[in-house]
Amino acid sequence: MKILKSHLEEKLGNKKNIVKLGEQLTMLGLEVDSIDPIKKDYSIDIDLTPNRGDCFSVLGVAREIAADEQMKLKKEKAPLLNFTGKPKTKVNVKEPEACPRYCLMEISNFSLKDTKGKLKKLPKIINLRLENAGINSVNPIVDLLNYVMLDVGQPMHAFDANKINGELQVRFANSNEKITLLDQQKINLSQDCLLIADKKAPLALAGVMGGLDSAVDIETNSVILESAFFSPSFIRGKGRKYGIQTDASQRFERGVDFELQKKALLLAASLIQKYLGGTCSNFKEVVSNKFLPNRKLINLSISALNNKLGTSLTISEVKKALNFLEISSSSGPGDPLIKLKPPSHRFDLEIEEDVFEEVARLIGYDKLPSEKVKSSFQAFAKTSYQKTLHLKKFMANQNFQEVINYSFIDDQLQTKLNLSKNMIMIQNPINENLNSMRTSLLPGLINNLVSNSKRGASYLKIFEEGKVFSNNKKITETNKIAGLIYDHEKKKNWNNSKRFDFFNLKELILKFLDFSSVEKITFKLSTFELLHPKVSADIYKNNLKIGSFGEIHPMIMKKANLKKSFYYFEIDSSELFNEKKVRLVEPSKYPQVQRDLAFIVPDELNFSDIEKEIKLNSGKYLIDVKLFDLFKGGDLAKNLKSLAFRITWQSKKGTLDDLYIDSLVSDITNNLKKKYKVKLRA
Amino acid sequence: MDLQPLKKQLLQDLNKVSNSKELQDLKVKYLGKKGEITLLSKSLGKLSQQERPKAGKAINELRVLFESQSKALIERNESKEIEAILEKDSIDISLPSSEIQTGNLHPITKTINKICEFFSARGYLIEDGPEIESEYFNFDALNIPKDHPARDMHDTFYVDAETLLRTHTSPVQIRAINKRNVPLKIICPGKVYRSDADQTHTPMFHQIEGLLIDEKVSFGNLKQELTDFLNYFFEKDLKVRFRPSYFPFTEPSAEVDIMDKKGWLEIMGCGMVHPNVLKEAGVDPNKYSGFAFGLGIERMAKLDYEMEDMRLLFENDIRLISQS
Repeated sequence: MKILKSHLEEKLGNKKNIVKLGEQLTMLGLEVDSIDPIKKDYSIDIDLTPNRGDCFSVLGVAREIAADEQMKLKKEKAPLLNFTGKPKTKVNVKEPEACPRYCLMEISNFSLKDTKGKLKKLPKIINLRLENAGINSVNPIVDLLNYVMLDVGQPMHAFDANKINGELQVRFANSNEKITLLDQQKINLSQDCLLIADKKAPLALAGVMGGLDSAVDIETNSVILESAFFSPSFIRGKGRKYGIQTDASQRFERGVDFELQKKALLLAASLIQKYLGGTCSNFKEVVSNKFLPNRKLINLSISALNNKLGTSLTISEVKKALNFLEISSSSGPGDPLIKLKPPSHRFDLEIEEDVFEEVARLIGYDKLPSEKVKSSFQAFAKTSYQKTLHLKKFMANQNFQEVINYSFIDDQLQTKLNLSKNMIMIQNPINENLNSMRTSLLPGLINNLVSNSKRGASYLKIFEEGKVFSNNKKITETNKIAGLIYDHEKKKNWNNSKRFDFFNLKELILKFLDFSSVEKITFKLSTFELLHPKVSADIYKNNLKIGSFGEIHPMIMKKANLKKSFYYFEIDSSELFNEKKVRLVEPSKYPQVQRDLAFIVPDELNFSDIEKEIKLNSGKYLIDVKLFDLFKGGDLAKNLKSLAFRITWQSKKGTLDDLYIDSLVSDITNNLKKKYKVKLRA
Repeated sequence: MDLQPLKKQLLQDLNKVSNSKELQDLKVKYLGKKGEITLLSKSLGKLSQQERPKAGKAINELRVLFESQSKALIERNESKEIEAILEKDSIDISLPSSEIQTGNLHPITKTINKICEFFSARGYLIEDGPEIESEYFNFDALNIPKDHPARDMHDTFYVDAETLLRTHTSPVQIRAINKRNVPLKIICPGKVYRSDADQTHTPMFHQIEGLLIDEKVSFGNLKQELTDFLNYFFEKDLKVRFRPSYFPFTEPSAEVDIMDKKGWLEIMGCGMVHPNVLKEAGVDPNKYSGFAFGLGIERMAKLDYEMEDMRLLFENDIRLISQS
């Protein structure tokens, strides 16, 4: 809300230093966003919090300053008015709960035209104040009503009396009712919309905006002025429903002083009469006291207040402070509770804590004491945060750069990459490229690869840790850690020209799993559709699949318009670091025995098949099976390969007997021969 | 007995030695079973009682001389051999190593961790919560009923009528109380979402929520804790001010500003936990009180790394994010 410094000074009756005034308002909780010099004045932009509807006017702001300075506002003269007769308009408030007070006056026999047939002009100061507040000039009637709203906070409306048929009704919309608003917008009303209507049709969306059909225009010569109190809960959400937020709806939603209607109406009528002339009817009010806001008594305990604020205030200090805020208080002698009643303009004071803040505000937050926390409560449990941080640090130590992508991405990209299964859509995305929750970290990493390689990167190791989302009957969030390795430098390093390959990735994954205390790991050829089916593996912990790694599927590259391949891994990070108890075991003191065995193996057999068979036949003292050579070609037939193993045994109880090892070697050889027709290489 | 010629001979011989083999031969020549010095020692018996000690001493001196000279020779030789090896191994250490990219954590992660380390050391538990939230936890339980004007402060992304992307980390307050009961000290870093995008807003950003609930927690405690934190984070004694603000889930509420080069700078929101929130979470507000605070990570990172445009943090340009 923007107000002029001079307008504020008029209410306060004294001059202010603009810098101090800005500081003062901010420290009162009326945050000053900006101060701009305008001619010989200053425009002050206040960022009002939604609880302070009472400050939505120059009067409201002035009230705060006066309370802070422990003074009274300047007394205003009662408006001058000549009344002639009762208003003719009948008012029928059918919904008194939504509209507990409805006041009106009629003004007739005036003209909005000047001698040249144009709209009459209002004094410059009024135009300037409205313009500064961002309120557009419409016509003198509407402008004066807006001016009163800016001045004291009461939104009002004027109907062209000649366009009204019969009594005014305050009622909810019927089904299928429509209205065209002042801004030309035609809306279909829902039955929870409060209306002002005549016998024939809706005239206004109550407390939000008037209708076009009954609007004041240049020909208007008589008006019905409305000044009502609409209950906030009946106005809230109505404007938003139709995408309309008006100066009126903002004020009614937050709460307008329910004792302000008559005063504001008289003020508006006097200004109209002063600047436009006309005859003014008497004032009419329909009020339903039982539905007016009930300012309940608040019991404030002085000890609770001092405990909460860390202060040692006395009852009389508190009462004095509150008195300036027009909060009336009473307490018997020796009574630890003060009974408080907030004024009609305050909608935000309901419980004693609300009043604590008022006391704190008037003392000044900066003057409240600071004190070390006394709570001895401590938490030592490790949570997923620390575990995740360890994983991230591991990746950074392996020369991966961490990236952070948005959790929402283009649904079409997810669909294109076969990632749209159980995808969650956002109903109101900020744009169409960010309209679905990611089901995988891959698309984000691909985007990072594309943008960085456009900038010239030909070697990239990046990773991301974050949530992926899916909705399979219920919404699930899973923490993943994923990374991408792209190695396509034209010239490699002088000392290491080897490109990153599957086995480098496998080594990384094994290190990572070991670091993450994951045990009983097996790898199987991957079934993950995003990866190359021949150059990828799934990671199993017992029988649970916890991730995959390998080369990206050529199909994904095509779909993502990538020319060069990369390696990718993705692991469920919640399955990592499930810490187990570690026992340290004393190593054997006895010597190791080693045998080197090379086998001629058909190509279609995997290393792991042979390794498994060796382990199966190596007895209980086996400690290691290592492949030290893989050989193809030479004098070997085309479909054969040679696998050379170094097998190591060791006992904790003594030196192993050569004869025993020899027998194991022949078991291994015989079984491999029997099972796979694999021969020992000569 | 004149030993001078022998001594002269011995020193000449030692001087000529160029390898360990030759030294070994000399040792045999002088100290072996039939070595010259050995033989001299054996011949001592032929001398008179008076001559014997003097001659014995002279022979022994000769033996010691040989041994000390040959030991020095061995050491000289060894260091020559090592020097030769070192020379052979010599490389150009100015050549580059083979890894061309070094890894790093994202500036956001580093900022979060800098904050977490402070509160962790003060005994706060680091909590986590869902990013897709129910309206109940994001709004209702935090004293923000439907149609409350405070909901306008949050431009919310919806997944369906009652489900949304959390607009702040505050829902974790309720979840943590439900899960762990009171007394309680938690912080919760995480992603939050609001439909807003310009130089200082991105539709996804990070917040840290803090919550402390115990008996007799005061606004003074809140002031001290956050002032300590800000001094820690910016590594200097800052001018910090608290001013009234409004959050539906705290009462009294405050905004915290720090004095920057250009004036006061808004840093974070905080306040005393609203009794309605405590009641909603099943905590007796007459027995317990607490404070809560929330701060934007990007803003802290922006200040800490002195950067202008927050959106750059999510463009993941390696040249930028690897600098932190």
